[in-house]
Amino acid sequence: MTPSFLSISAVRKTFGAFVAVHDVTIDVPKGEFLTFLGPSGSGKSTTLYAIAGFQDPSSGDVLLEGKSLLSVPSHKRNIGMVFQRYTLFPHLSVAENVAFPLRVRRRPDGEVRRKVADMLALVRLENFADRQPGALSGGQQQRVALARALAYDPPILLMDEPLSALDKKLRQDIQTEIRRIHRETGVTILYVTHDQEEALHLSDRIALFREGRIEQIGTGEDLYLRPASEFVAGFIGNSNFLPAEHLETAAGAATVRLADGSIVSGLKTAKPFGKGQKVRLMVRPEALSLTPGPASAALAVEIVDTAFFGDRRRVVARTAGGDEIDVRPTSDAVEPVGAAATGQRIYFDPASAFLFPV
Amino acid sequence: MLLDYDRLGWLRVALVGFTAAVAAFLLLPVVFIVLLSFGSSRWLAFPPPGWTLKWYQQLLADPTWIDAALTSAKIAAMAAISAVIIGLFASFSLVRGEFRGRQLLRGLLLTPMVLPVVVFAIAVYAFFLRIGLAGTTIGFVIAHTILALPFAIIPITAALEGFDKSIEDAAIVCGASPLQAKLRITLPSIRIGIFSAAIFAFLASWDEVVVAIFMASPTLQTLPVKIWGSLRADLSPVVAAASSLLVGLTLCLMIVTALLRRKLSR
Amino acid sequence: MQESSFRRGSIAGLPAGSGSALPAIILVGLFFIVPVVALLLRSVTDPEPGLQNYAALFGSDTYVRVFLNTFLVASVVTAVTILVAFPVAWMLAIMPPAMGSIVFGIIILSMWTNLLTRTYAWMVLLQRTGVINRALMGLGIIHEPLPLINNLAGVTIGMVYIMLPFMILPLVGTLRAIDPMTLRAAALCGASPFDAFRRVLLPLSLPGIAAGGLMVFVMSLGYFVTPALLGGTSNMMLAEMIAQTVQSLLNWGLGSAAAFVLLVVTMALYAIQLRLVGARRAGGGL
Repeated sequence: MTPSFLSISAVRKTFGAFVAVHDVTIDVPKGEFLTFLGPSGSGKSTTLYAIAGFQDPSSGDVLLEGKSLLSVPSHKRNIGMVFQRYTLFPHLSVAENVAFPLRVRRRPDGEVRRKVADMLALVRLENFADRQPGALSGGQQQRVALARALAYDPPILLMDEPLSALDKKLRQDIQTEIRRIHRETGVTILYVTHDQEEALHLSDRIALFREGRIEQIGTGEDLYLRPASEFVAGFIGNSNFLPAEHLETAAGAATVRLADGSIVSGLKTAKPFGKGQKVRLMVRPEALSLTPGPASAALAVEIVDTAFFGDRRRVVARTAGGDEIDVRPTSDAVEPVGAAATGQRIYFDPASAFLFPV
Repeated sequence: MLLDYDRLGWLRVALVGFTAAVAAFLLLPVVFIVLLSFGSSRWLAFPPPGWTLKWYQQLLADPTWIDAALTSAKIAAMAAISAVIIGLFASFSLVRGEFRGRQLLRGLLLTPMVLPVVVFAIAVYAFFLRIGLAGTTIGFVIAHTILALPFAIIPITAALEGFDKSIEDAAIVCGASPLQAKLRITLPSIRIGIFSAAIFAFLASWDEVVVAIFMASPTLQTLPVKIWGSLRADLSPVVAAASSLLVGLTLCLMIVTALLRRKLSR
Repeated sequence: MQESSFRRGSIAGLPAGSGSALPAIILVGLFFIVPVVALLLRSVTDPEPGLQNYAALFGSDTYVRVFLNTFLVASVVTAVTILVAFPVAWMLAIMPPAMGSIVFGIIILSMWTNLLTRTYAWMVLLQRTGVINRALMGLGIIHEPLPLINNLAGVTIGMVYIMLPFMILPLVGTLRAIDPMTLRAAALCGASPFDAFRRVLLPLSLPGIAAGGLMVFVMSLGYFVTPALLGGTSNMMLAEMIAQTVQSLLNWGLGSAAAFVLLVVTMALYAIQLRLVGARRAGGGL
């Protein structure tokens, strides 16, 4: 078997008694955009720092094309990185910042000038070459940082929450830029974020971290449509969880009883459950509707609140069992009859719902 | 990585070693003088042939040393008190005033710290000769207050800048008079700054040599003048004993400062 | 006075908020500005009106040599102080606080110890039969005692000792203000530790080095005690010369002229230093 391009092999990092990363193993093919997603403290940044060489793993290895990186000091790893905070060199102009990695590599002046021009064009900041970093907006600074990280054509680009300091609109613009740059350069990107929308938008694959372990790794669709656990379902996208009791499973389709006594059948389940076992039923807000479909299950609810969000409505419903359910029908759906309406029903396709053990 | 202590590798060994060497260099004269003051050699041989307390006995038996120490303490206390009070008033104006030339005024009040002391020393000496204050305690106190003033103003203005004026305004809204608000709210809040000011101002006067050399008269000598005179004459071990007592005093001052700061900042 | 002076602009005719500075203004005006100005006037009036004192000052080889020597000593002291202080400040900025506080404690102890005490200790340590010469001879490194006192070496050691805290403490602040991430970024960009130092850490600490260095230089220019006790007669510095001219030779005119020269140079450098760090932070060591 040929070794994969970048291989994170059983990396473990402990700080005293605290285990920050538990034996994480990931193989990354060349050119992939892989995102480490997870809440803060889940070990995603620590894993990235081990690749960058800012922290040595307590055990395990990081291999680039089969060769261990661990004994290579950071400045010889030839890895690009964009940081959470703007780490431009404040005493150098934009052009000199981008030129920095080439200057320390003692490249000839002509090549440096050419490359800096190319890089500034790549991030669309050609007209800012002579500015000082302090005179740029946050978004512009991060684009310079990106140009600097790519100037020496590193095979791997690490990005540590690069957009977290920017406002929402700017974040979306730069996400689009990052996608374009990834396409144009073919660089392998490892991207750390706690923002699931960002991860879904950008990545080929997402590794979802939880308490130092990878909870699930796969494409965005895998994680969204086929979550391996309640944690994954809760972290990616919006979700409603309803407590239920498992009655039986036949031919891969389970039947449960909800807290209000209603029975739902035809549910997908990955794991076998025992009869009478407590489970949780997960259904996405956008899979719920106020009108019945062809194979719908129905829930009796009262409508607590409704709001209009442009492309969608948001309806908050409450079951007889007291669980609040978030419903996100498209705005052209029938408007529910005011707030505090009792005796309403909401519907969903059981095939779009999941069962998880408690 | 150069600013990550854990990732410096061999460089860290070298730099920590260098830092330890500099710390030893800074500590060397202080420790040395204390050891020497207990040595029995009249000629300050080191290591001393034997240990003795006789230099301390000579020191304490000599009324001119005691007098000089008392004079220094008296002048330093008076100069520190005046500098802190005058500096406190000035700081309110420097921090809260809204007038043109505020920065200029600040620069002016801090100038005595920057101007070479020898220039001020001969200037104030000539002036005091003319108005009859040369060689008097009051002349000493005035000159030392001026030198101590910047050391009082810097910590007090720093504390005042860190104090949110709206808290004082809130006290006034609650019915306190502006003076009450200052006395009961503002001054307690900036007490660490005032305390530092007092320490620095006291030390500025207590350690002052140059003005003191000019101002001193045969009947009015501060401790530094007495030491200066002894040093110019010979390197008597009695000076080592006096110096060691001063080191002890510095240590006490540092400990008191550390304890008080901890207590005050609660 | 007490209460009203606190209030803004409550004293008629004074700019708003300046009233409480009055005692300080009066004190400094009457006993600092007036005597210094009077001294400067004396340089052009004593013994008779004219510039003869300045002519004598700049016309004499002796005095010109004192000027040159003053600049030489101040420059050497500043350079050595910067070189020694930088690595220490660097470590203090990043080392674990428990270790750092020991070093800070030593710095404060040295700084607060009586100036004459410290100088006295160096006189004893550096003399011909002093500990340092004996130790070096005992180790067989030298065979004759080195002349360490009453010359440039003695003044440099003694002055660097006194100036180090004034350089280290502000530099620690400068270095702590630099984001360690910037240096990590430099390393990942391919900069070796040497390159990262030369191209990033050093340029970013330059404002602090310049401000601290200027302060040390200015203080060294006008220093009196340490050069007088550790220096030799052949390399007298300006402050000592001023004191001697006035005290021993009773030549007030010439002494005042020399004092004026020292004052102008000092104040000019002080103004530059204020530009560098901003008036608010002048006086760093506190």
